[in-house]
Amino acid sequence: MRQIAGTDWSALRLAGVGKQFEGLSGQLHNAVEAIDLEIRRGDFYCLLGPSGCGKSTILNLIAGLERPTTGEVEIVGPGAAWRAPIDAPGTDRTMIFQDASAALFPWLNVEENVLFGPRLTGKAGSYLPKLKPYLKMVGLSQHAQKFPFELSGGMKQRLQLARALIMEPEILLMDEPFAALDAITKRGLQIELARIWHETGKTFIYVTHDIVEALLLGTRVGVMTAGPNAGIKTEIRVDMPRPRSTGSLEFVDAVRTLEGLIEEEINAARATALD
Amino acid sequence: MPRAPQLSIKEGATVRVAGFAVTPFTRRVLWRLTCAAISFTVILVLWQLSVGTLLNAALVATPAATFSKAWSMIQSGELFGHVAISLWRVIVGYVTGCFLGILLGAIIGRYRLVADFLDPVIELIRPISPVALVPLAMLWFGIGESSKYFIIIYATIVVVLLNTAAGVSRTPEMRIHAARCLGATDFQLFWKVILPSAVPYILTGMRIALGFSFMGIVAAELIGAREGIGFLIMNSQMLMQTSQLFVGLLTLGILGLIVDRIFRALLARSMRRYMRADELI
Repeated sequence: MRQIAGTDWSALRLAGVGKQFEGLSGQLHNAVEAIDLEIRRGDFYCLLGPSGCGKSTILNLIAGLERPTTGEVEIVGPGAAWRAPIDAPGTDRTMIFQDASAALFPWLNVEENVLFGPRLTGKAGSYLPKLKPYLKMVGLSQHAQKFPFELSGGMKQRLQLARALIMEPEILLMDEPFAALDAITKRGLQIELARIWHETGKTFIYVTHDIVEALLLGTRVGVMTAGPNAGIKTEIRVDMPRPRSTGSLEFVDAVRTLEGLIEEEINAARATALD
Repeated sequence: MPRAPQLSIKEGATVRVAGFAVTPFTRRVLWRLTCAAISFTVILVLWQLSVGTLLNAALVATPAATFSKAWSMIQSGELFGHVAISLWRVIVGYVTGCFLGILLGAIIGRYRLVADFLDPVIELIRPISPVALVPLAMLWFGIGESSKYFIIIYATIVVVLLNTAAGVSRTPEMRIHAARCLGATDFQLFWKVILPSAVPYILTGMRIALGFSFMGIVAAELIGAREGIGFLIMNSQMLMQTSQLFVGLLTLGILGLIVDRIFRALLARSMRRYMRADELI
């Protein structure tokens, strides 16, 4: 596909997207089925759902790491004037993974990890002036010479963030990046992530199974149905002003609404399992 | 640079002895050297006492005889000649074997199809020890240098290949995905992600192969050589020169130890950033 960076795109669209995998026993099963989703430019879109509902599959499809079995994943121009299918990974869509130890390059220090992408382009020099600002943005300025094994879990995720941001992607894909962190570190990073989203003005797509996290961060939350054959159940807009407080009446109300939706899903899944 | 790994230092603080600061680390090293010295002294004494009493003096050389023979062979330069020729054979064969092993192993680890075709062949070859190939090597290459290189390349290549293939195929998929999202082409992916990820495996294979190649060279020289440590050992046996035979064995042990230390000092140290902190070799 054409790189969307620099183009006047307006949305990312998934239309009737399904993805089948072949199990070890040879039978096919659907990770996701008939997903219809539109994510507008500049959104902080949270995909909320239980484990195993195909959230990661959706991110991999958007990243271009996997191809859909059915349907289209495409970038759409203003007023649907043009459409460009996503058929390969590109630096305009960078991903941040939950398991930072596996995703980082353990033989490179913080600075070298961040410069990995720029060096692949053969024009690392033009990225060098951005190195320090991005390290500062994620709070790793004091740790530029450290190796990943010397970093805490939270710092590793900051490093993944800087490594992605320096490529200045249009879309940042995040696969439960804070799920393995302790509650305090997690809250700190959530606040910073919201700030980084605001500062960069990029489109963030964030997968999570944490209702509070989705409401703290997202401009919109897509609630997924339980997998297999998962899809988007409902989508809610989150208009609360930032910085958001988990204690506000509005917030508690929103949590209740989402909990109700997820409870419905759990009951539906239980009913299917009993059939 | 990564920090040096913490050696297991027992509790205790730095103390000063005669004006020198003795750290727990120094104490640990001194302790280990003392232990080694005591072990060797005990063995040498027992050995010296048992020859002529428990053991037949015609079949077992005393330590004294062994060391005096070693000293005269060092002075005449004879020992050095044997060591140099064996070492050179090992270096040529080992370096070639490592290069080929890494190359083939990387291809096998990366391409499922190649692995499917070559795995059965490798599984069949693997149990055949380098020693068993010596007669064949001499048949093919004669008693010249090529047959020695062949044996050592064989001894090296299999284990390096298998380890490289394992390392390459075990690169975390997430790391590959991350690199592709950052714009890596297939070529960059291989050289900048997959191969570096496999370095711990490759180094482990290379270190095992180093031991194998010493076993291989002695086997090759035992049968068809006019110089080298293997020849020295075999020749001593034919001449009933037990002290010279013991010198040959002792040289092998010391040489193996030194080469392994050099390997660790050079290669493991320069590749340290590729190793996980907990598996430095």
